[in-house]
Amino acid sequence: MKLLSGELLESRQLLPGQWLQRFHAPWLAGGAQAGQFVHVRTPDYSGLVLRRPFSINTFDRRSGEASIHFRVTGKGTEWLARMRPGDQIEMLGPLGRGFEVDPKSRHVLLVAGGLGMAGVRALADEALADNRQVVLLFGASTAREVYPSSLLPAEVEYVVATDDGSFGHSGRVTDLVGRYEAWADQCFACGPEPMLAAMARLAATRHQRLGVARLAGRGRGRQSPRGSSVARRRAWLQVSMEQNMGCAVGACLGCVIMGTDGPQRVCREGPVFASEEIEWDARW
Amino acid sequence: MGRALVTLDLSVDLGRGLILDNPILVASGTFGYGVEYGEVVDVQRIGAICCKGTTLKPRAGNPPPRVTETPAGMLNSIGLQNPGVKGVLERYAPHWAGWQVPVVVNVAGESVDDYVEVARRLEGQPGIAGIELNISCPNVGKGGLQFALDPDGAGAVTAAVRAATDLPLMVKLSPAAPDVRTIARAIADAGADALSATNTLSGMAIDRRRDRPLLGNTYGGLSGPALKPVALRVVYEVAQAVRIPIVGIGGVGSLDDVLDFMAAGAVAVQVGTAVFADPTLPVRLIDELAAHCRAEGLQTHRQLVGCALPARRERPSTKGVEYLP
Repeated sequence: MKLLSGELLESRQLLPGQWLQRFHAPWLAGGAQAGQFVHVRTPDYSGLVLRRPFSINTFDRRSGEASIHFRVTGKGTEWLARMRPGDQIEMLGPLGRGFEVDPKSRHVLLVAGGLGMAGVRALADEALADNRQVVLLFGASTAREVYPSSLLPAEVEYVVATDDGSFGHSGRVTDLVGRYEAWADQCFACGPEPMLAAMARLAATRHQRLGVARLAGRGRGRQSPRGSSVARRRAWLQVSMEQNMGCAVGACLGCVIMGTDGPQRVCREGPVFASEEIEWDARW
Repeated sequence: MGRALVTLDLSVDLGRGLILDNPILVASGTFGYGVEYGEVVDVQRIGAICCKGTTLKPRAGNPPPRVTETPAGMLNSIGLQNPGVKGVLERYAPHWAGWQVPVVVNVAGESVDDYVEVARRLEGQPGIAGIELNISCPNVGKGGLQFALDPDGAGAVTAAVRAATDLPLMVKLSPAAPDVRTIARAIADAGADALSATNTLSGMAIDRRRDRPLLGNTYGGLSGPALKPVALRVVYEVAQAVRIPIVGIGGVGSLDDVLDFMAAGAVAVQVGTAVFADPTLPVRLIDELAAHCRAEGLQTHRQLVGCALPARRERPSTKGVEYLP
């Protein structure tokens, strides 16, 4: 975790209201892992008091560049979208725990809903660099919200669903998971909470549907503690969660969600969790 | 250079031996237990850390969302999530015991007995420099009326904790009290060593996409620059009502804010919400305050305290009460 400036290199509107910004931030790109995030400072403390968290959309250690992808939803993102190349943006990061990929996983399934693409995008690069096969399922409300395939590596098999059927599969992105659940060694998802909850239900019943024995943990003397890197690596589904955030370093407890082992900080124990760590129908 | 030889004294005496190196503290709830920001902040330079609110039993807190930005401020409804006093003593006090920076444990409760029991357990523990009482909690024994809004309740809880511990005791005022001076007097008369002013002000936000309150707990505490004028008013009023030191809190985000609180009668300030935007701010404010005092030819920042108060009044306290065991 460092607190430094990044120089904006490129800012462009990717989709209506959605921006892709590329920064020169070697300290960030050098230390990042897919699934981590960065906390961006807003310009004027007397007006906007909180930083804004963004998934590290892509990063390149050699060039020292990292990118974020966001939708303009309020004053903070409006300000950020007005920034121009050469502007310095203060960032705190990389933050949180990223995705845990099992070294043995050869087939990686990524599932993204809308802006959730930014949460899993870097993992596509990382998995390909490690010679894994990647299928990316993407869901959007309509064709004009579909993430352009030109921004994805050619090796990624990209399958799209739209709610209104204007592009690709007509329906939810989670409808597509069944086709790949036997193929995938691990699955990583980011998107709206109802989508992630649907993914968690699929993951919980996957073994029954596939009729395969649960191998993880068999013959091992003891289970790794829930939430540990090892336990997450063994989970079939990892989800990247989102919540309103204050400090982003674990101090304020503003971004806490309910986990099966009690309250969990999205900024510190997450944003990535194994799906079984989340209490999906939490009662407080 | 003759001027450089004049040593600048930024120390603050909050009473009962709680002497801070400088008057810049960090506010409860915004700095966790002091361990979270360690990688980016020189934590040991801070005047004191007021840790996250601590209760007798562990608390899971409120459902999300717990925070949201509002015009020039934010709302939080964490719901006092904390591991309980036992958990705090086990997990964090051993770190604090080796620290230079004093850690003041913020204590919350639902009854006088709750507060007293937490204070008893903190008494004599290595690493605990003092107690800050969060009295903006509903008093279950009085139909849920907040201690901080009731002079009798505020005085009673202060007196009970005072009797239970010799630790330096600071009590945090609510900005919602109709006459905060009567509350402050009751607390001072009950034996508090210092006051902090103020806590957050209750507010809410609406999620219009869903047509319901935005926060999971409906209500949250307003903090940040939006609260500063209210907190300044409370400090100004209380400084004329009591003779114990006052620590100002509410939207401190710059040296100007620090100087405003000092002018209104605070001998020190707590930085809260601004830490989220700039974790390095508290340490920078120490340097900026020192530079300001040197530029003004002051020997101590305490010369600034209360300079905006009506001239006929006594100067507010810059020193804690003597303590004779």
